Amino acid sequence: MSLFAHLIIGNKGSDRSNENLDEKNDSLIKRLKAGDCNAADELVDNYYEQIYLFMRRLGHRRQVAEELVQETFLAAWQHIEQLRRAKAINCWLYRIASNVSSRYWRKNKNNKAVSINGIYSISDQEISYEQPEAREQLNRLANAVRLLPVKLRQAVVLHYMQHLTIAEAAQAAEVRQGTLKSRLNRALKALRKQMTEEFGDI
Amino acid sequence: MKEENIEKLLTKLANNTIENTRPDLAEEIKQNIPKKFGLHKNPLGTINIIIDLRVNKLAAAAAIIITMFLFANFFAASNSQTDGLYNEGRMLIKYCLGRTNKTENIKLSVMPILYEDLRQKGKDVIYYGSSIDTQDSNAVLMQWKIGDGQYKVIFPDLSTRTVNAEELIDLLAKMIEKQKL
Repeated sequence: MSLFAHLIIGNKGSDRSNENLDEKNDSLIKRLKAGDCNAADELVDNYYEQIYLFMRRLGHRRQVAEELVQETFLAAWQHIEQLRRAKAINCWLYRIASNVSSRYWRKNKNNKAVSINGIYSISDQEISYEQPEAREQLNRLANAVRLLPVKLRQAVVLHYMQHLTIAEAAQAAEVRQGTLKSRLNRALKALRKQMTEEFGDI
Repeated sequence: MKEENIEKLLTKLANNTIENTRPDLAEEIKQNIPKKFGLHKNPLGTINIIIDLRVNKLAAAAAIIITMFLFANFFAASNSQTDGLYNEGRMLIKYCLGRTNKTENIKLSVMPILYEDLRQKGKDVIYYGSSIDTQDSNAVLMQWKIGDGQYKVIFPDLSTRTVNAEELIDLLAKMIEKQKL
């Protein structure tokens, strides 16, 4: 089972499997710091899917997202000496990915974020069984997320979509936990306002 | 709509926005990671400093050469090092000026510095300065003794030559003769 699959399943795994994961990551970090190229390949295999999805959820187009994922792993390899703890590997990668993404938005101010409702695939059938209104709601929400300012969108994606805890998301966004909470609050208010205008008080 | 509902919807949205990656993406990423990358940067590694100054080529060349001489003096460089600096400066001037006739201007600033430098090092140096005809490629702009009967001569085109005493006298005689004409 890839690490991505593990994360998709969520935090339901036993403590035992978490310990195993930490041990695995410890060994991975040691090998990465020693310059082991096989370890670099392992890092890519374990994390590229979730970093790709992160980029897509931040509103990058498919091709751009692929380029940014490559850039993220290259930067990770170049700055591996900054990684200290095995547990931090996830946050550390998200931090690099967030920086890579922010740099892209700064350089390409005219490029607009694409809505995440355009990347339904695995669960598409599941949605279609639901009422059309529910689907419409999700589409509207996806569009509202797309329109959020970059920092608020980043906070929402890290916490609600990539399932990072507040502490982890704050670390990934390189802000204090209070700042991240404040960003999430502002984002939720903006999203609620947008959704209430369209769907009323549900 | 309540904020809790928004949170629930966001989670639902996350579960429904999963996209398969391109099959060969992982391999492409791996290939782009340099296999011989130096992980731990050498603290003594090269630092590239680029200063983008919009100055005249001539002024830049003069500033570089003057700095080189100052450094040579500061660190008490040997004569051969000073000569090397001079030759490098000459090449730099030619490069900066694009081999045009603007060398006249640069000579005025560089030659006195070289003269002072050689004089301070106790060399028997003579600088003819503006008294010579700069169009005469054989005119001697500066000369100094480097060893047994050997002299280093700098010509107006900033080329150098090592000559013996007889050759030097010959060069000086021709120069004076042309000046009389």
